[in-house]
Amino acid sequence: MDPTEPPPHEFTRRAAIGAMAAGAVAATSRGRAEEPAAAIKARPRIAAIATCYYKTSHGQGIIDRFMDGYGWKGGHHRPALDVVSLYVDQRPKGDLTDERLARHPNLRLYPTIAEALTRGTGTLDVDGVAIIGEHGDYLRDDRGRTHYPRYEFFKQVVDVFRKTGKTAPVFNDKHLSWSWDWCKEMVADARELNFPFLAGSSLPLTWRIPEYETPPDAGIEEAVCVGYGGVDSYDFHGLESLQCFVERRRGGETGVKAVEAIRGEDVWKTLDPAAGGSARTKALFDSCLCRSFRLTSPREGYGNAFPTLADAAKLVADPYLYRIHYNDGLVGSLYMMNGLVADFTVALKLEGDPAIRSTQLYLCGISPNQTLPNFFSPLANHIESMFVTGVAPYPVERTLLTSGVVCKAVDLMAEKRRMVETPDMATIAYKVAGESQYMRS
Amino acid sequence: MRSRKPIDAPQPEAPATGRKRLAIVTTIWKYLSHAQHMGDRFLVGYPIEGAWRKPPIDVVSLYVDQKPADDQSAERAASFGFKVYPTIAEALRCGGDRLAVDAVLIIGEHGDYPRNEKGQVLYPRYEFFKQAVDVFEADGRAVPVFNDKHLSYSFAKAKAMVDASKRLNFPFLAGSSLPVTWRLPAVDLPYGAVVEDALMVGVGGSDPMDYHALEAMQSVLERRRGGETGVRRVRMVTGDAVWKAGAEGRWSRELLGAALSRTDSLQGLSVQDGRPQALAEGDEIARIAQDPAAYMIEYNDGTHATLLMLNGVLADYNLAVRVQGRPDPLSMQFLLPPTPNVAYSAPFMNYVARMFETGRAAYPVERTMLVCGMLESCLDSRMAGGKPLDTPFLAVRYESPRESLFART
Repeated sequence: MDPTEPPPHEFTRRAAIGAMAAGAVAATSRGRAEEPAAAIKARPRIAAIATCYYKTSHGQGIIDRFMDGYGWKGGHHRPALDVVSLYVDQRPKGDLTDERLARHPNLRLYPTIAEALTRGTGTLDVDGVAIIGEHGDYLRDDRGRTHYPRYEFFKQVVDVFRKTGKTAPVFNDKHLSWSWDWCKEMVADARELNFPFLAGSSLPLTWRIPEYETPPDAGIEEAVCVGYGGVDSYDFHGLESLQCFVERRRGGETGVKAVEAIRGEDVWKTLDPAAGGSARTKALFDSCLCRSFRLTSPREGYGNAFPTLADAAKLVADPYLYRIHYNDGLVGSLYMMNGLVADFTVALKLEGDPAIRSTQLYLCGISPNQTLPNFFSPLANHIESMFVTGVAPYPVERTLLTSGVVCKAVDLMAEKRRMVETPDMATIAYKVAGESQYMRS
Repeated sequence: MRSRKPIDAPQPEAPATGRKRLAIVTTIWKYLSHAQHMGDRFLVGYPIEGAWRKPPIDVVSLYVDQKPADDQSAERAASFGFKVYPTIAEALRCGGDRLAVDAVLIIGEHGDYPRNEKGQVLYPRYEFFKQAVDVFEADGRAVPVFNDKHLSYSFAKAKAMVDASKRLNFPFLAGSSLPVTWRLPAVDLPYGAVVEDALMVGVGGSDPMDYHALEAMQSVLERRRGGETGVRRVRMVTGDAVWKAGAEGRWSRELLGAALSRTDSLQGLSVQDGRPQALAEGDEIARIAQDPAAYMIEYNDGTHATLLMLNGVLADYNLAVRVQGRPDPLSMQFLLPPTPNVAYSAPFMNYVARMFETGRAAYPVERTMLVCGMLESCLDSRMAGGKPLDTPFLAVRYESPRESLFART
């Protein structure tokens, strides 16, 4: 594309917010449809529900952006909303709650989630809820899952909705829950009560280097993501990175019929044609490595050299791979390569295109010398968009599906099984809007 | 510079394989030095456009000016089968009696060299280049040359280098990696747009890092309507005078806000507790800036541009440009991905490799020459107490490539 031309998506949201602020839009939130239009606030009042609030926690990264603004499209954006209530589950050393309360006089801290939502009125008294259940000291089970209380927080919100007969849009940071049944229940609740529900990772929304999006209606022959980090943690980011590209394929998302998990030496075999692996998968994997900014050099004293598979095997102590078998036959692979890379890259092989298309989903702000994890900025912006317009900018089904893959893969690895059929994920079909939603202006 | 023999257009004497023979001339080769991360690209290849490219270039000789305890030149020579020569002439002749390479990569960055009274590090780039040119002249053949970073701390020397490349008619590429690295967002000044004002923010010491910032800004502004016309006046102020100049309207707070909106590295309270800040508003920025400096550039066509070096405020490089006909400033970060990959040097060295392969430089060396002059004159202005300095000698005209050349594919 011509780098001098502003991308077309720039105007849509501004127009929407501008129209909302001018009172030109009727209540679009299904949850608020019963309310008179006059009650709609130009600036929605938000309850922020966080496990904790310390520097570098997701709570801090997202809620601070609502309250203090952030660099956005060439200016300092101040969100058109007010965070009026806060619930913080744990307040360890370094907790910033008191500082934020002191600096934002309209913000109040409540001892329970229900009180944060009702604010002493006996009814729902906020226009949106942001649940950020990431970081904090929670049980880590024998399968390696951290029991962040996202489901529990969500259910307390839904209880208020049920009791008051009112709802508001809800955002849930990262995957829905560590339990697949709970993930499904959360989405079912949102459907039943008919409130906008947004969830997931910031990776689908952050900068892509280079700018790339799956072309409209493209057939995808294969997709690979190479990522890093832990099980039931960064694997979710890798899955969302992959999913945000493949869900745009011809026919849209068709659901997942089976999940495969491979850990250890067998991972390398999938990349080695001599050992029964796929040359095409290896080419996609290699292209991902060529998009990394944090590729470990296999040669000491060399800053940037390309690793052979043998080199990679030496660098990665615990390789693991999730393979997602979609209903329409597509196979997506997430290679988790701790020790080899420290970023997330995606490569696609499209039908009718001899080239491999690849990009990095760039986590700005976490490299040495950087201080601001600004990959939260486009996430905060899309959450704001939902709170203002009452419409979730992308379907929660993406995150339901990726949450399901994490849950199934964790079980497979714990039970030392390789593959499981996933009939209840095979029904999760959805389509995304044509417009790309990642940050590029 | 001498001219003993007439020199024809470059006639690279490539072997039948089509592979080019490269001599590397450097101050120092140790881990994370420019020679290491740029020289290694020609030894082990580099990532470009989603693939690992090994250019059809063989490093056949090396000259290293300084060999500290952590020198890597001997290991590289042994691993890749080339020889380290004691002089530049011998490196270019590979120990023989005439020029025996098809290209020369000069990297005069890092190493222990003195500074002058302006604070400039006296890297011997001009001296290295001149020794290469002496060989070209003596042997009656010239080959493409790349010079890392600014040509010289001295504009007179920089101009002599460019003049020599014109006289001997060899492709000459130089400069910083910032003009060709990734940008966030991936935008450029529309070619031929009218620039109303520009503000760059950067960090680091002088004269290494101010040079990078000035050349990054120049690589965008040279696309303005009428092309590059040169610089007629500069002024550099430091300390409180930086904020005073802003208050007097000599640089724009609005553009500072646009530039800072692109940073991922705000300091101060962002370091303390992670909060985003609108530092272009209020006085916090003056409180946390350490030895701020403003480099104010007035071009011959009347365009104004300013570089603010703001140590203590941020740690990356961002530009904002007010463009006629656009409601909001154009703004971008010039991305410098981290060590040790230093991914920015891959697209940069790809342009160098392509010049070696094709004999054509992708962008004009006059950009780098002009920036050498801007920087030296700014430092002269600072030495003169921040007085404006007329720069009639910087009437450097050149045309920018129409196509944007920063990394974006």
